[in-house]
Amino acid sequence: MRFWLQRFGMAILLLLTVSALTFGAMNILGDPLFNILGPVAGDTENPESIALIEAAEAEYNLDRPLPVRWALWLGDFVTGDFGVQFSEDGQPPVSDLIAERLPRTLSLLVMAQLMAVFISIPWALWSASKANKPVDRASTVITFGMIALPNFALAVVLKYIFAIQLGWFPLAFTANDPFWSRMWQMVLPAITLAIPAAAVYQRLLRTDLITTLQEDFILTARSKGVSRNSVLFKHALRPSLFSFVTIFAINTGALIGGALIVENVFLIPGLGRAIVEAILREDFPVVLAIVMIVSAAFVVLNLLVDIIYSLIDPRVRAS
Amino acid sequence: MTETTRSTDAGASRAADPDHVHLDDAAASLVPSIAGLEADAAPVPDSDKAAKRRVGWGFWVSVTWLAVIVLAAILAPWLPLKDPELPQPPVVGERPPYAPSGTYWFGTDQLNRDMFSRTIWGARTSLVVGFAAIAFGMLVGGTLGMLAGYFRGRFDAAVSFVFVVLLSFPALVLAILITALLNRSLFTISVTLGILAVAPVGRVARASTISFADREFVLASRTLGARHPRIIVRELLPNVVIPMSALALLGMAVAIVAEGGLAFLGLSVEKGSTWGKLILNGASSSRDLQEAPWMSFAPIIVLFLTVLALNFAGDRLRDYFDVKETAL
Amino acid sequence: MRTRSTRRATKVGIAALVSFSLIAAACGGDDDDSGDGGGDTESTEATDATDGDEGDTTETTESGVQDNEITQDTVSPEEEIGDPVPGGTLRYGLEADVDGLNPTSSALSAPGLMMSQAVFDSLIAYDVDGNAVPYLAESMEPVDGDFATWQLTLREGIEFHDGTPVNAEAVQVNFELQRNDPLVGLAVRPYYPETDATTLIDDLTIQFNLLDPNAQFPKALTGQLGYLASPTWIAAAADDPTLNQQPVGTGPFVFDSRSADSVTRFVRNEDWWNGSAFLDAIEFVPVTDPDSRADLFFSGELQALQTSNPATVEDLRSDDAVQNVIDETGEESFVMINTAVAPFDDIRVRQALTFATPRQQYNDLINLGVTRLADQMFIPESKFYNPDVVQEGDTPDLSLPLVESYCAERGTEENPILGTTTCSDGKVNMELQWSGPSVVQTQVADLFNQAWSNSGFNVTFNELPQDDHIQETALGQYNVNTWRQFGAEDPQNDRVWLGCDNIGVISLNWPKYCDEARDALMDESGASTDEAERIEIWKQISENINQAYTYIFLNHTLWDNAFAENVLGVCDRTAPTGEQLLCVTNGRNWFDSIWINE
Repeated sequence: MRFWLQRFGMAILLLLTVSALTFGAMNILGDPLFNILGPVAGDTENPESIALIEAAEAEYNLDRPLPVRWALWLGDFVTGDFGVQFSEDGQPPVSDLIAERLPRTLSLLVMAQLMAVFISIPWALWSASKANKPVDRASTVITFGMIALPNFALAVVLKYIFAIQLGWFPLAFTANDPFWSRMWQMVLPAITLAIPAAAVYQRLLRTDLITTLQEDFILTARSKGVSRNSVLFKHALRPSLFSFVTIFAINTGALIGGALIVENVFLIPGLGRAIVEAILREDFPVVLAIVMIVSAAFVVLNLLVDIIYSLIDPRVRAS
Repeated sequence: MTETTRSTDAGASRAADPDHVHLDDAAASLVPSIAGLEADAAPVPDSDKAAKRRVGWGFWVSVTWLAVIVLAAILAPWLPLKDPELPQPPVVGERPPYAPSGTYWFGTDQLNRDMFSRTIWGARTSLVVGFAAIAFGMLVGGTLGMLAGYFRGRFDAAVSFVFVVLLSFPALVLAILITALLNRSLFTISVTLGILAVAPVGRVARASTISFADREFVLASRTLGARHPRIIVRELLPNVVIPMSALALLGMAVAIVAEGGLAFLGLSVEKGSTWGKLILNGASSSRDLQEAPWMSFAPIIVLFLTVLALNFAGDRLRDYFDVKETAL
Repeated sequence: MRTRSTRRATKVGIAALVSFSLIAAACGGDDDDSGDGGGDTESTEATDATDGDEGDTTETTESGVQDNEITQDTVSPEEEIGDPVPGGTLRYGLEADVDGLNPTSSALSAPGLMMSQAVFDSLIAYDVDGNAVPYLAESMEPVDGDFATWQLTLREGIEFHDGTPVNAEAVQVNFELQRNDPLVGLAVRPYYPETDATTLIDDLTIQFNLLDPNAQFPKALTGQLGYLASPTWIAAAADDPTLNQQPVGTGPFVFDSRSADSVTRFVRNEDWWNGSAFLDAIEFVPVTDPDSRADLFFSGELQALQTSNPATVEDLRSDDAVQNVIDETGEESFVMINTAVAPFDDIRVRQALTFATPRQQYNDLINLGVTRLADQMFIPESKFYNPDVVQEGDTPDLSLPLVESYCAERGTEENPILGTTTCSDGKVNMELQWSGPSVVQTQVADLFNQAWSNSGFNVTFNELPQDDHIQETALGQYNVNTWRQFGAEDPQNDRVWLGCDNIGVISLNWPKYCDEARDALMDESGASTDEAERIEIWKQISENINQAYTYIFLNHTLWDNAFAENVLGVCDRTAPTGEQLLCVTNGRNWFDSIWINE
């Protein structure tokens, strides 16, 4: 129990630190007053401008010290008030932006992971059954290549082949299209994310399978006359899936980072694009909100993996 | 993260030291290529072991390519290359960009600049950033990791926490924040990417140090009255450096890719070319990509081969030195 | 609780960061890059300017107009096709999304102004000869021949889309809000007294009290300053800023809805005061990627589009099934120089930079030869054009002696923008600033850097996000940047970018160059009603600008509003009094006369 409390406490502390660092960075490196008022903030001669400056400072607590501002922001944030988008006309709430964009990023991630799993599991099984034969070695080289190609480069290549030359996919994302049309538009970006992920999963699973295949119980099964394929599927796959699930969860974190690039290349209006735009416009509340969401996702994922692992491996629970 | 892939050894070691396990390695997979390759650092099945003890011819091919690229980059000012910034005289009646030909091996871009020359000059910045970033990471991360692994206790807890924070922060976002808000000089970008390298490198250094610190030769040294600095430098450092160097090549690959990602968002160095900038220049307009694909594909291929070579060589080295990521 | 003024200031401050086109006391010119930070593709719009050299285009008539171009002189095809019929929805592709259409608080960019022209009417309009014609207003006259006092009388019985009556008070509300805006009002305030800038005479008559005589004053009300929005709506939007996206005006179309992908839909106003539009509805579709936008147009998804992307313009103009409305009378692109700080406070350095600028290469490589090089702020077809004014450039040999002379004398002073000395190793240290991230702007910077650094300059790049860039420019924190400006139908409305009284902590006179003689000329032009006299004055002013070396003119912006084959009537606008009105200004057209021939 103490173990879990510690874990949980650590997670909270982590999120607090991340928020403090981001808040600090944006306020020190950027200038919130300019961000809010524009050039008027520098017009210190005109009494009207001065009045505006002072009003803005009071409203946004800019005259208070940084830690106090952070605490105030944090207080709002945990009660669900993410603030308003500074740089949008009319200053709509940040939660509107999140609500609009998060589903797109999520669909992208879900599609990517599904594709990666569907590619990697059969491939790994096949590789394991042909371990170290030339086809397996070739496949190892291929997975190496899949991991080595950076996601933005892969995105360009895929875009060129499938969207431009073959015309299978549209060049721009239209948010108002019907559901399936939108999902189709996400296929290419999802593939871009799925390819390196699939390679990672395949390599891991293959290694695991091969190791498991060397264990005694497999030998027993084979000696009892169980067929090769049956052995692979029924006996070797299951124990290997533990670590697969773990890295699957962990890799989701990596995919979130990849989604940032991919969304910008394929012009998908998701969280990744939102945060890049927000940073460039120094829209503090949006940046903070998205950073917190992503970090929270990381932390939750890790906790989840811990939970799964402890359920699977009794030794960890016992400690 | 490697512990999590092992159901046997890791489980035991996790049971022994539950505090410093999961969050660190879990978050390590922020970086896909390291994550993927770390998977291979799991204990190798017998059938693969035979392949392990030699680095193999692939290693030497990779090293050769890297040597060629690095030399080309260093010697660029003296090589007979066309000026990478100068718009070449256009062909009458035909507008740039021109396809690859005898005059322009990789073709030209929209401003009629020679792509071959730009790719080689782009290598300079990309490689420098990659090298500087991992060097920074190894220096800072390696030192912190070693000290943490050696002294343990509260210092270790603090350093480990810092590592975890760094790893929990969405990496690219941190890089974008700093480059967009501060400036985009070569120095800033290198240091930013270096900061991102601190945690992964530090973890390896720490784990390595821990595993070595319990060994007899260290104990012996201490019994003989050696002081901490001497032990760290004379006994631990030589041993820790080996796994870290194997990681250096991998880390460099990651840094180059990260710079490319930044460049692709338009946030890399302002002046001069890098591979990422070149790729962006050729791909940001679908029309350009359609009509003049060589503008992107030339740097893509060079980047791919370089990252592949770094990854492959680093992977081979790691197998050769039999490096395990952690041995907690 | 937020005070009204803070909130307004906030809105405006932010909105104004996006574009200073609200300073369309002039004519709603766009400033530098449109589009947001994330995409680079939008910015290909920004650097575009107008046409290649004369004789470049094929199949032109003597006036340089191609067969598939519509101009004021185009004969309407109604003779063969028949009378306009109501019906149809026009899907119009724009280069960016607009999130607020409140002329009193949203600084409107090119797409924003385009949409505004569907839902708002301006008090005054231009006819094809460039004269001011009362439009929403019934008349506008100087009082007793004093051009500093004008009375504007509205038509009776007009209502806003929400039923609010159009009266003098509504005019006053709109005008005063714009005038008092801390940022936007910068362009308006210098010409009015602090109080009583406007006086209500009766329910339908309002009086404008200017500080100086301005015979061209009605023309100031043809753009954003002259749009009338419902005061009821304005008040509601002040409390709930999301209402800015649901504009209420008097125009031929009424706001209907806005969708998730930012498509804004307007439907025909059945109670329009000036007759009835023909289209059932207009849908404005923002497509930031110019290639995608062109694709959608050619595939029929869009029936019209607005673009300044050179490659797209080329394609559109070479397609006979496309009707192009080309507008080059708008802004010019130029390199802009800040004269307030060293080293560019010295004319030698400005000249050296000018001589070294590769204008021809810029036009050929960046604008694909589609636009025309600009020598001044008028195109050759304009009556104000001065054929003796030539923009210098492409003569790098003349630069080095000037640089040498400057560095020898003043090389040890400080360049406050860079924090270095003005010269190092005999070369002038300078900063080039632009807004990005933008692939095209980076190419422009590379191109200029390559030329300038061989002619005695050490160029430091500074690519800033758009808001920061505008800010820095307004505050004078730059040496040299790339910019777009001018383009008012009547140059009197461009005065605000040139006058001495527009220099301050925040300057709309971006180069911060004060020329008293030029100011005097502009005042003269304002007071004069004699067109020939004004033409001479502005020719002199162009000469003056040329000799100041504060702008290195590059090209005239070329806007192409392209329409599908069956979309007709865009240039058939008429005023209530029968004059034929301008059909496009600064790359945006109106919608009341457009109809679709099925």
